[in-house]
Amino acid sequence: MISIDTVSKHYGSFQVLTDCTTQVKKGEVIVVCGPSGSGKSTLIKCVNGLEPFQSGTITVNGVSVGDPKTNLSKLRSHVGMVFQHFELFPHMSITDNLTIAQEKVLGRNKDEARDKGLKLLDRVGLKAHAAKFPGQLSGGQQQRVAIARALAMDPICMLFDEPTSALDPEMINEVLDVMVELAQEGMTMMCVTHEMGFARKVANRVIFMDKGQIVEDDSKDAFFGAPRSERARQFLAKILQH
Amino acid sequence: MYEFDWSSIPGALPFLWEGMKVSLEITLSAVIFGIVWGTALAMMRLSPVKPLSWFAAGYVNLFRAIPLVMVLLWFFLIVPQVLRGAFNLDPNTDVRLTSAMIGFALFESAYYSEIIRAGIQSVPKGQVSAASALGMSYAQAMRLVVLPQAFRNMVPLLLTQAIVLFQDTSLVYVSALADFFGAAYKVGDRDGRLVELLLFAGLVYFLICFAASQLVRRYQKKLNAHVAH
Amino acid sequence: MSYQWNWGIFLSPAASGDSTYLGWMLSGLQTTILLSLSAWVIALALGSLMGVLRTVPGKWLSGLAATYVEIFRNIPLLVQLFIWYFVLPEVLPFGLGDRFKQDLDPVTQQFVSAMVCLGFFTSARVCEQVRSGINALPRGQKNAGLALGFTLPQTYRHVLLPMAFRLVVPPLTSEFLNIFKNSAVCSTIGLLELAAQGRQLVDYTAQPYESFIAVTALYLIINVVVMTLMRHVENKTRVPGYLGGK
Repeated sequence: MISIDTVSKHYGSFQVLTDCTTQVKKGEVIVVCGPSGSGKSTLIKCVNGLEPFQSGTITVNGVSVGDPKTNLSKLRSHVGMVFQHFELFPHMSITDNLTIAQEKVLGRNKDEARDKGLKLLDRVGLKAHAAKFPGQLSGGQQQRVAIARALAMDPICMLFDEPTSALDPEMINEVLDVMVELAQEGMTMMCVTHEMGFARKVANRVIFMDKGQIVEDDSKDAFFGAPRSERARQFLAKILQH
Repeated sequence: MYEFDWSSIPGALPFLWEGMKVSLEITLSAVIFGIVWGTALAMMRLSPVKPLSWFAAGYVNLFRAIPLVMVLLWFFLIVPQVLRGAFNLDPNTDVRLTSAMIGFALFESAYYSEIIRAGIQSVPKGQVSAASALGMSYAQAMRLVVLPQAFRNMVPLLLTQAIVLFQDTSLVYVSALADFFGAAYKVGDRDGRLVELLLFAGLVYFLICFAASQLVRRYQKKLNAHVAH
Repeated sequence: MSYQWNWGIFLSPAASGDSTYLGWMLSGLQTTILLSLSAWVIALALGSLMGVLRTVPGKWLSGLAATYVEIFRNIPLLVQLFIWYFVLPEVLPFGLGDRFKQDLDPVTQQFVSAMVCLGFFTSARVCEQVRSGINALPRGQKNAGLALGFTLPQTYRHVLLPMAFRLVVPPLTSEFLNIFKNSAVCSTIGLLELAAQGRQLVDYTAQPYESFIAVTALYLIINVVVMTLMRHVENKTRVPGYLGGK
């Protein structure tokens, strides 16, 4: 589904990504972790072309992301993305947040988009909030709406960029529950997250990044059982201290 | 197609320079007076003494609501009468420059006062508390702690306002006072070369103001870098 | 030296014969309002376009918009007005200038020059406000729009601009007020707007105080009306639950 092949990226002389290579197969759930500044958020943003990269190739469902001829908007319209800071559109009601891209990008009619949006809103347990504005919801609620917004586009895979790291601790689980459910239904997912409980529960593989490189790319049992690199061991030890 | 003829400019340069001196004189006096009186207005506005704060608010809002052209017309009407009454001046004394200076100074103080008020309010309240905790009086806290910090943040805005003010001085045209623009217009009118003189005046203003605003921007960057570290 | 107040002057027939001095004032007020509103339309349209250009990726367009702003910000309004009114008709190619001078009556020439001048002058300021509004939005908003499959123009249209405009209503209010105040500069090319009518009244009646007080009061009233109007706009466009932070 997603294939990342020797991708490198630099800002000026600063190397952000170095020769990153990995694959995500259909139905797989991949967790990407690593210390801050390791390039994991940049890597996931390269997947839908939000960040350009200088060398290597990324293909999503056979379409090359870095190819200037690729219609990126079209590609992005069926790759869902969830952001650290939710990024709901503050000037629109929750319903409008769920329907605007369906209407303007996919060309669905108003009623169809609305039905779809409200169904997904119900699924994330927020049907009662349809008429509210993002600023009137808690962070956890906003993030669940953001997941519903991405799902409304019928994505072939989902990218999560630290979806819980801006949330208060008591709100993390409501978001993770939605993600777990999604994983169990067979959604292809690539998640940048430090939530190791989530990784243990649903991940097929764990990728550990440090200083712009993929240091480990292993099944979750292998990763949690016996990480091969010293850096990954240190990282896990630190995470567990929380 | 229009045929340009720039030949009347070189000979007129001394006259234009005299005009530029008038523009600069008005600008400088208004900047200095504006900052001093503007600071006083800002402190009055923030003071707990209600009548002072009302006076300052009224002054600032009034001047900011009226076009500068109108303010200048008022001052060219009133100031000569007041000055003549007070100093028993010969009615033929030309007091237009003085009127312009006073008009600009009082007008610009209103704008300076708002910049300074925002600057004072940008200093965290904790700073006054900390100064009071050290035993300083309110006046001391203002003078030694708040104003120095406020002014450092405000300098770029104060300078930018000075650039705006320099451009605004061209409006003394309404009193036929020969500032730089007035001088350029007169030369152009005399020689039938208004097109060239107006373009020349525009270019000179642009070069001066653009250069000055680039300097302010550089200074601002340095200031930001300084604060960031 | 004592001044003879005469407020009745406004009701006496004006020198032009067909109106009272009050009529002069009102016609000046009307010109000021018409001029300012039409210039504001130009300023908003052009300023928004330039403001967007200043934020788009690609140095070429944003550099162009930046140059535009620098030119209109660093030349005094009065000089710009004289260039629009006296210079441009002389140097316009293809006989456009001659047509401007021959086909339009003097009052229309003055009005058009003043309107275009105020519009362009203010657009540079509007541009900077719109740009800062767009830049004040969290960076992720643009990414969120793009990630949903919006094109860049769609992202501006549906995501960035609606929010950016809400953020800049207060500074735009002050630019809107400025355009009314700046319109007084246009009296210098002979356009009979409010300030010019005030001066004309002084010349004809020798009652400067009444005239200036009336003109000043009218500007104050414009100020209050515009502020009330814009406060209404601000309330209308307020986003529930959004406090303007990030």
